[in-house]
Amino acid sequence: MALVRIDGDDLVVVIEGLHKVWALKSSLTIPLANVRGATADPGISAEPKGIRAPGTRVPGLITAGTFHLDGEKVFWDVRDPAKTVVVELADEHYARLVLQVEDPRATVALVENALL
Amino acid sequence: MGRPRAFDEDMAVRAAVDLFSSRAYDGVSVDDLVTHLGVHRNSLYKTFGSKRGLYMAALRRHLADDVRPLVNVLTTAPDAATVLRLITSADLGLLLLAVAERAPADEEVAAEVRAALGAVDEAIAGALGLPAAQATALTAAALGMLLRKSPESVGTALSQRLDLLV
Repeated sequence: MALVRIDGDDLVVVIEGLHKVWALKSSLTIPLANVRGATADPGISAEPKGIRAPGTRVPGLITAGTFHLDGEKVFWDVRDPAKTVVVELADEHYARLVLQVEDPRATVALVENALL
Repeated sequence: MGRPRAFDEDMAVRAAVDLFSSRAYDGVSVDDLVTHLGVHRNSLYKTFGSKRGLYMAALRRHLADDVRPLVNVLTTAPDAATVLRLITSADLGLLLLAVAERAPADEEVAAEVRAALGAVDEAIAGALGLPAAQATALTAAALGMLLRKSPESVGTALSQRLDLLV
């Protein structure tokens, strides 16, 4: 599970609890200028994720960490696909973040409104 | 530096116009977009940033492709009957849905639809020599008829009344 908040001109993603261990990452700070948008996307978990390095993947149970797909790095932290939000980035280490959040609709609104 | 896009962005946006005008915004999933647009999920995110980014592209495309030509012909409409007929036969599906559904929740959508409807009002005011408020009222009546799928007789009844006044 990830906590997403806006802190000044940054998007801050805090990875909670044991997910920190699985994803090998405790938080990410991204300037809002490099955030292109956020989308609730339960279906993305059914797509090929690419090659994991480093992180944890138990198919059907958890996808966490850095995945390499089509020449891009994608950060995943998802156990429950129904609560997935995709945050698209530009000029960052990761091309996008695929995060499980408590309330996908609220998270999408938070990020999209911060970009207006 | 991006790689060349492996899909026709123009066609994808047009397909998105059709999809977003056929159902509610929340009813369109990324899975639906991937299926209907024939675009890979990664390309979709890379090109448009988000579902909302694609929606904005689709809305602007609809305004340019479907609403702008309507505004152009409205500027030469000779009477109220023609105005009503032109508007009620136009393809304004996404505009109407945007007005009802997204504009109240999204400032950027609200600004786009306000500008588009303002252009329709202005075209009518210019063509028929009406005060702005009356032109706006005529647009509102026409959109109402379009929404209710009113038979042509409704437009005829209204325009007979209006053309007597003009």
